[in-house]
Amino acid sequence: MNSVVSVSDFYFKYLRSELVLKNINLEIEKGSFTVIIGPSGAGKTTLCKAMTGIVPYYSGGDYAGDVKVLGETTKGKKVSDLAMKVGLMLEDYESQLVSLTAGEEVAFSLLNHGFPPEEAEERTRLALEDVGLPGRESYQLDELSGGQRQRLALASLLAVHPEIIVLDEPVSAMDPDGGESLYKLLDKIHKEHGTTFIVVEHRVEFVLPYLTNLVAIKNGEVAVQGKCEEVVSRIYEDAELRPLLPELWQVKCSLEKKTGRTFKLWRSADEAAKELQSEGFGKGVRA
Amino acid sequence: MIEAKEINFAYRRGIPVLNDINCKIEDGEFVALIGHNGSGKTTLSRMFMALDHPRSGQILVDGEDIINYEPADLADKVGYVFQNPDLQILADTVYEEIAYGPRVKKLPEENIKTNVKSAIAAMGLKGLEGIYPRNLSFGQKRRLGVAAALALNPRILILDEITNGQDAVEQAAMMEYLKALNEEKGTTVILITHDMNVVRKYARRAIVLTDGHLVFDGKPQELFQGDQPVERWGLRRPVVSVLASRLGLSAANCEEFCEAVRKGGEA
Amino acid sequence: MKLNAFTWIIVTLAVTAWVFILPVEAVATILVLQLVLLLYIKRSKTMLAAIGGLGVFTGMMILLQLLFGSSLRVSLFGGLRMLVMTLAFLCMLATTRIQSIAKALVDRFHLPVEYAFMLTTALRFVPNFLEDSEITLDAQSCRGYSNRGNVLKRLLSYVVVIRPLVMRAVSKSETLALSMELRGFGANTYKNMPKEQLTVVDFAVLAVVVVLSTYPFWKKFLFV
Repeated sequence: MNSVVSVSDFYFKYLRSELVLKNINLEIEKGSFTVIIGPSGAGKTTLCKAMTGIVPYYSGGDYAGDVKVLGETTKGKKVSDLAMKVGLMLEDYESQLVSLTAGEEVAFSLLNHGFPPEEAEERTRLALEDVGLPGRESYQLDELSGGQRQRLALASLLAVHPEIIVLDEPVSAMDPDGGESLYKLLDKIHKEHGTTFIVVEHRVEFVLPYLTNLVAIKNGEVAVQGKCEEVVSRIYEDAELRPLLPELWQVKCSLEKKTGRTFKLWRSADEAAKELQSEGFGKGVRA
Repeated sequence: MIEAKEINFAYRRGIPVLNDINCKIEDGEFVALIGHNGSGKTTLSRMFMALDHPRSGQILVDGEDIINYEPADLADKVGYVFQNPDLQILADTVYEEIAYGPRVKKLPEENIKTNVKSAIAAMGLKGLEGIYPRNLSFGQKRRLGVAAALALNPRILILDEITNGQDAVEQAAMMEYLKALNEEKGTTVILITHDMNVVRKYARRAIVLTDGHLVFDGKPQELFQGDQPVERWGLRRPVVSVLASRLGLSAANCEEFCEAVRKGGEA
Repeated sequence: MKLNAFTWIIVTLAVTAWVFILPVEAVATILVLQLVLLLYIKRSKTMLAAIGGLGVFTGMMILLQLLFGSSLRVSLFGGLRMLVMTLAFLCMLATTRIQSIAKALVDRFHLPVEYAFMLTTALRFVPNFLEDSEITLDAQSCRGYSNRGNVLKRLLSYVVVIRPLVMRAVSKSETLALSMELRGFGANTYKNMPKEQLTVVDFAVLAVVVVLSTYPFWKKFLFV
């Protein structure tokens, strides 16, 4: 596997707390759309922070093992340098917005890293177009809706052209339209720029059409990781992890067990219905 | 019993938020108030608690118009739980948090103890009485918010998007507690949500708002398996309902569906 | 009124000094000019509320001084000074972008970048905090805390807001600090922002400031 992030024998605990991550061995495939699932408190957010060098180097704590990003260890690196390669959007993306206008927000990292103003302007313009906010450089933050502000945070990440983008529960408070449209945007960026995406998600139904790899975290350890087709059944077998799978895949696994047949890894209810009908199930109602 | 009669509401900028809303919720019901962001569902629910008042129309609680009420007047009839548990924490221990309402209402100490105990039991918070609320897990904080609203024994409970941000297991736990409240104590539950799986599993009635209009009021099954333009209303049918109706079967969840497929046989 | 942020800062600082060296008539004139300016720029409810709020605060200061035994004349003049000083800051904030003020403070007054950035941050988060405190107040009401009654009771009801708000502020500021660190905030941040030049108008205003500030020295010549 061509890995963009490699975590080896990684252990971590914050000061004055229990071990949050234990014996993590994880490879994130280049160009993948990897989704991390796991019960609340399993350590998913901490894992995101480990992949971006925040943990342990910025936030402190005790650790063992190593995290490599694009072949280089995160040890001894400034988080701002790593951020040029691995973008991070936290669940509280609102608090990540530091400026008063959209243009300043997107250009912030660029100017801090010494990009000339003209280049910063050009990258800002392209990034805003990419996320569906063209020409909004002069908009004040309070002129943008919540969803638009999230896209703005995404544009700020894109402007530095990172190879990897990590998102921690991006749609937790969104309604279905909002959730679908964000993931459509992420997929577009994934396809157009080849960026590797690592997303922590509870609401996996939104990411169902797009994900390529799954990582399941339980009690601070990696329970399962790999390409979706290869790991779905194993995740299903684990009673604790089963409810975290997209419901469509829970149906698939359950049907496979009940009928002894194997089905494709459906990406939509439509696809599932079509295959089931063509296999002769149901009361023969044609689409 | 809570009733909305021809409710109209707009913010000062003039954009109408609720248009001619009519609905009546009887005691003991389990209602899901559904809609896209900005559909008006939260605004309507706030009116049920006198947090906002309508421009025209009436809100009646147990037959009485609450136009001159403030939320504190309704606290022993209607409980309201907000989405963000952190912003609702007013005390230093779980016990005091739940006791807040009864204390403010100057109930005798004995009653306070009884009410708090029963709220703690109802929401599965036994053993956590002395804990500092901010040290609880997210799911526990959410349940604490509900327990605090229950402390004055309201007959009606309104919950604003309380299933957001939780994993499937925590969500199920919360919903089971609410189901028990509804079935065993007869508490009316009004759940604001856009999660159709929760609606399908627990609600017996679904009221859908879209752009300030009430577009559906009926059984959840009708909403999922009928011809309603659910997507246009910003909602999504649960996966199992889509599969079931496409295959001409009837199923409310994964197990039922798989059984139906197996039995329904090969055509 | 397109004055450079630097000029505004100088003017504001000068005004705060003037209230102590100029006679009461001059200070009162400045007050009138300030009110005219503010209402000319933005005749909105927020502006009136801000002025009103400062007025109330001044009133309280006057009362305090009276309580501590100062004469009416001294108390009133003290209140006037206070009002003019605070309105000077309000004028600056109403006319100048906060980023420009921050940049001028860093470039010309050598304020450390972290402090200058706090200005922007404060402005960024105040609306968020107001919204959050509304929810806490609502939650309090829903638990049975009545808002009816006298002004004092209403004020007391805001006390409950403090702790959740402070906690939230702390947590948001941690995320914000992390975000700034990730984006490379530091010495370069203000260096690379577009520089604003001083214009003829700026120099004219600065000259007026110098003249007025040296009033004690040349006032003797006024009545010669």
